Amino acid sequence: MNLRFSGKQAFILGGTCDLALDLAERLIREDIMPTLTHRNTQGVERIHHRLAAYPARYQTCFLDLEQQDSLPNLCGAGAPDPQYFIDLAHGNLETLVAAGDHREISAYFNAQVSTRTLVIREICRAMLKNHSGRMVFISSTAAVSPNPGQGLYAAAKNAIEALYRNIGLELGSRGITTVILRPGYVDAGRGHHYRQRKSEEILNKIPIRRLLSVDEISATILFLLSDSARGFNATALTLDGGLTAGK
Amino acid sequence: MKSMPDVDQPMTIFNDVRAILVDLLDVEPAEIGAGTYLVRDLGIESIDFLELAVALNSRFKVRIEDNDIFLFGLRAQLAKAGPNPAPTPEALQAKFPFLSQQRLMEILQDLDYGPVVKVADLVAYIQWRKAMEAAA
Repeated sequence: MNLRFSGKQAFILGGTCDLALDLAERLIREDIMPTLTHRNTQGVERIHHRLAAYPARYQTCFLDLEQQDSLPNLCGAGAPDPQYFIDLAHGNLETLVAAGDHREISAYFNAQVSTRTLVIREICRAMLKNHSGRMVFISSTAAVSPNPGQGLYAAAKNAIEALYRNIGLELGSRGITTVILRPGYVDAGRGHHYRQRKSEEILNKIPIRRLLSVDEISATILFLLSDSARGFNATALTLDGGLTAGK
Repeated sequence: MKSMPDVDQPMTIFNDVRAILVDLLDVEPAEIGAGTYLVRDLGIESIDFLELAVALNSRFKVRIEDNDIFLFGLRAQLAKAGPNPAPTPEALQAKFPFLSQQRLMEILQDLDYGPVVKVADLVAYIQWRKAMEAAA
């Protein structure tokens, strides 16, 4: 399937994870310049290492949701305004709700929801200049399928989903649309470690009897960014192999 | 020799603000004067305010605080201060330093008739903001 893209600049929040790097390669191959955010030197090195085959075809930007003073780095002075925004950043605070440390809980929501809202606000305003923008937020099936220990994570995901749904409603008439993707278990990052611990138990819950690969998630994101998928607006799609479909 | 217009002059700023409004709202330039109310006369809605803020920022390269330039915070400020003592232009100027005391007095007398922000207020904000950022 040939996908068409009317934009040329993408901004990836959370640019150092496997998914972000895989997506960045796909974007570059579509002649789209991705800017990937990182939080430290290890992160930026990881980006450069993975994208070494594409010199001058991507950019990096220091932006840490836990450091609100890093926000002025957003897009950089004079950088082109993005037409695509892919929000992959997520912090994890796994604990029973009532057992969480009160300082950690405050810091977690401050970074994941409050500071992220400021980032989204700036991106929306940049997109409004050209009346064109597509935002994809990578949520999680945890947002709709409660699990002990994941209450705070799910609450943050739900709060952020609400923001993106609203943006799609509020700015759709101005050419800015949003879509939320809720992957299930992915064979990367946290999912990979979880699978190693509970392989059989997890696979039995998934009708397709396998975890999703980074490759198929990033291919789906690329489709959602394409002109063909603009009709998906202010809504959430589930990509979980059927994990949450049954009882 | 014809001199270049001073981009910081109120008339130059006004012309640019008017051009933005004309483009944004699809109205005739003649419909927009310094004393034109944004909501009462031009029917601006919340999404238009957002687009206007973005366009002003893009045109003038200054930070736009929507709550200040569009006076969104004015009524909240007055409600917070309470009726006694009666609000004064001097007190309001701390929150809205880009407006003259004369304009603030006019606003206080105009509150009952609807949203008070005028095109001239945007011009005043841009001029003030440019001066602030140049000084910084």
